[in-house]
Amino acid sequence: MSETIDAQFDVYRFDPAKDARPHYATYRLALPAHTPVLSALLQIRAETDPSLTLRYSCRSAICGSCAMQVNSKSRLACETQIGPEMERHGRIVVEPMRNQAVLRDLVVDQSPFWRQYQQIAPHLILDPTRPMPEGRETPMTPEQVDRFKETPRCIACAACYSACPAVEADPAFPGPMALAKLYRFVVDPRDTATQDRLVRIQTEGLWLCLRCHLCTEACPKDVRPSERIRDLKELAIGAQGGTENGSRHAIGFKENIREGGLLNELKLVRQTSGVGGMVAQLPQGLRIWRKKPEITKKPPRIEGADEVEKIYEALDRPKEGS
Amino acid sequence: MQRHDVVVVGAGLAGQRAALAAVEAGRDVALVSKLHPLRSHSGAAQGGINAAISKEDSVESHIYDTVKGSDYLGDQDAIEFFCERAGPIVVEMEHYGTIFNRAPDGSLARRAFGGAGFPRTIYAADRTGLALLQALWERLGTEDFTLYEEWDLTQLVVREGRVQGIVAFDRRSGQFEEIASSSVVIATGPFGRIYPKTTNAHTCTGDGTAVAYAAGAQLKDMEFVQFHPTALLETGILITEGARGEGGILKNALGERFMSKYAPHVLELASRDVVSRAIVTEVAEGRGFSGPYGGYVHLELMHLGKEKVLSRLQEIVDFSRHFAGIDPVTEPIPVYPAQHYMMGGISTDRHGQASIPGLFAAGEAACVSIHGANRLGANSLLETLVFGKEAGDAAAAHATKAPAPKMPASDLEAAVAPLRAWSSRPDGEDPSALRTEMQQIMGQYVGIYRTEAELLEGLKRLRAVKARFQRIRVVDQSKAYNLNLTDALETGHMLELAETIVVGAYARTESRGAHFRTDYPKRDDARWMKHTIATRSDAGPVLTYTPVAYTRWEPKERVY
Repeated sequence: MSETIDAQFDVYRFDPAKDARPHYATYRLALPAHTPVLSALLQIRAETDPSLTLRYSCRSAICGSCAMQVNSKSRLACETQIGPEMERHGRIVVEPMRNQAVLRDLVVDQSPFWRQYQQIAPHLILDPTRPMPEGRETPMTPEQVDRFKETPRCIACAACYSACPAVEADPAFPGPMALAKLYRFVVDPRDTATQDRLVRIQTEGLWLCLRCHLCTEACPKDVRPSERIRDLKELAIGAQGGTENGSRHAIGFKENIREGGLLNELKLVRQTSGVGGMVAQLPQGLRIWRKKPEITKKPPRIEGADEVEKIYEALDRPKEGS
Repeated sequence: MQRHDVVVVGAGLAGQRAALAAVEAGRDVALVSKLHPLRSHSGAAQGGINAAISKEDSVESHIYDTVKGSDYLGDQDAIEFFCERAGPIVVEMEHYGTIFNRAPDGSLARRAFGGAGFPRTIYAADRTGLALLQALWERLGTEDFTLYEEWDLTQLVVREGRVQGIVAFDRRSGQFEEIASSSVVIATGPFGRIYPKTTNAHTCTGDGTAVAYAAGAQLKDMEFVQFHPTALLETGILITEGARGEGGILKNALGERFMSKYAPHVLELASRDVVSRAIVTEVAEGRGFSGPYGGYVHLELMHLGKEKVLSRLQEIVDFSRHFAGIDPVTEPIPVYPAQHYMMGGISTDRHGQASIPGLFAAGEAACVSIHGANRLGANSLLETLVFGKEAGDAAAAHATKAPAPKMPASDLEAAVAPLRAWSSRPDGEDPSALRTEMQQIMGQYVGIYRTEAELLEGLKRLRAVKARFQRIRVVDQSKAYNLNLTDALETGHMLELAETIVVGAYARTESRGAHFRTDYPKRDDARWMKHTIATRSDAGPVLTYTPVAYTRWEPKERVY
């Protein structure tokens, strides 16, 4: 048993029916350092204030109910221990998840999150001309199972959704969980809509990911949503090539730098949006040109550009074992 | 008031499977749950699901293992029916998209489990419940039905001898609502939170079982409570039997692999009641470890090698690290039994039909009975699917021929008036405090080993808590997400169910499966080869008994 510490909890409280604005209630408890934040909150409910409202169920990081902000990080309260939080922050600030409207205290409205998940068609899509084997399982090798990576571990806790700046910026972005779930269906050998899924998602938010990896940092089950989004991007380019601004931007970026080691920004606009797109973006381009006239010039070839080429060649070589 | 052909309460695997069956039968279906379906406790099931699909295995062998595991209290015709449906329903779940582990030849991988004569447990790492729950929810999502999410069940309405619908509390709006329906399926899962240390989620409070009991439904074999042998010490978090199926071993403080004394043939893979009693005995006789959270033994996985542990028991590694500060790759896991599964529940036939027309039940909320006095590992996930489907089919069929449900507005008022009193009292009993007292009573007096004197004392104390519940008080006056009201509802439900457990255990003067009376240590087939039926009365549960169904297997002494 770990040592007992004095912990201070500053808990976000808000009942929209009664409160004009949110406030923080402070509770002080002496608890063993390994106590999960959830246990502490339940103790507060049982002993001090039964009106403190939160979602919780399994207390073992498998039901996904108790995601919330603990000292500004999206975490599962049940597997976040108070000791390290007190050590690092001197108190434990508990707030509802971000990017979702607060219904009361730590309970948020998850309906947009669930809607985004339904949007990616999270079920096997089958080709009626290719029925599954009757009365027995579809054969699948252990290697095919490995292709799912960690996505089957997802518990839909929405910690990633809460941490994601793209979700905050653009409601059209499906969010890390939905995209990781899409990856799970794209690599499923039983699913027959792989091509359609990859083509559709290119115009339905795949390229809105900012590659900040905050979702991967937040994920309590090591699903690594940002890496699965990267995988999806590769697969999408493979399925359709550069047919959409997002994928053309990625391809253009790669080829652009290869030429001399520096980014040719004007050329990248053409590579991404085409000549028509350049014309459409002319006013914005002129504004940039006034501040940064060198943008129209081709950048010089850097010293050691040969090394850059070698990096590209190394990256293009097929990986061992794949 | 809402109105549906079929109302399913509880959205874990049994409830979802029932809803799918009823939707496929063309009925208008409501799925009512206090949690989002993906947060159901089915998702916490770890080890796997049994099905005799291998050529070297047989359905016959699965039936025999289940009959023996039940300590001959399971109904053999129901067990046959159950095991025969295992292969097809697991394959169906694979076709719905479940990602199971695979053997090198592409078939479903299997692992060994306790009490099974053949490795027939199909699995998805150590998160089989989660894998099934996701696939079923995603399959159900392609169908048309109405989800009532975060609704608490408060009453089953029975009039003219049949079901008319339910009353439930919408947490988000804070309103009580009626849903009229001639067919109601209860699939609200377990009620392990009656006990102080349980592998069950906080939300496993038996709401549906209690509400059905209050409406007059018969409960069966409530005294049979399974304690899982290996739970984490402080929290009761489950360490799957799959850990032993993969080769994990148990050792006492003397370094002895003590199961050789209790089950010389199969050691750690004896059935759960046997292993749990062995651990409790080792600790009681001074051969366990001791620490601030009580006595314990060691579960060792170190010898399996890092790769196997990390690939097959990934969640276990995480649980141990996060919740016990232990790395199972290099250290033993301290374990002790915790309440895990309720063999008892709403008495049903094999099609989920309960004792009231229009009432159906499935999964852990129900008792068919296939588990008898002790459930085998990996038979409960199977139970949710097989009997969820049966109950959904039967409820759908009943809805077509039953008269339209009648729910006058006075029903709602009658159901809600007593609950309003809870919130308007100036003072009264605290739901959390009563819940804790009940848990302590059950842990102390109605545990793994039971005696007449302890059961009587437990009953006396439990009834005192029940009496105080009459003055329960809800302090929180807000409407939205009033968890204080939920606490009170759940505590009331659990107190009723706890009483049926104690009364059943007191009456049964024998030891069978998970029910062990130290004052009656032998199984007594002549007097007790029968099911306990509990029916509610104002004075407490009234017990009657029904015979066990036999087909081919003569009762024998159970040796592992």
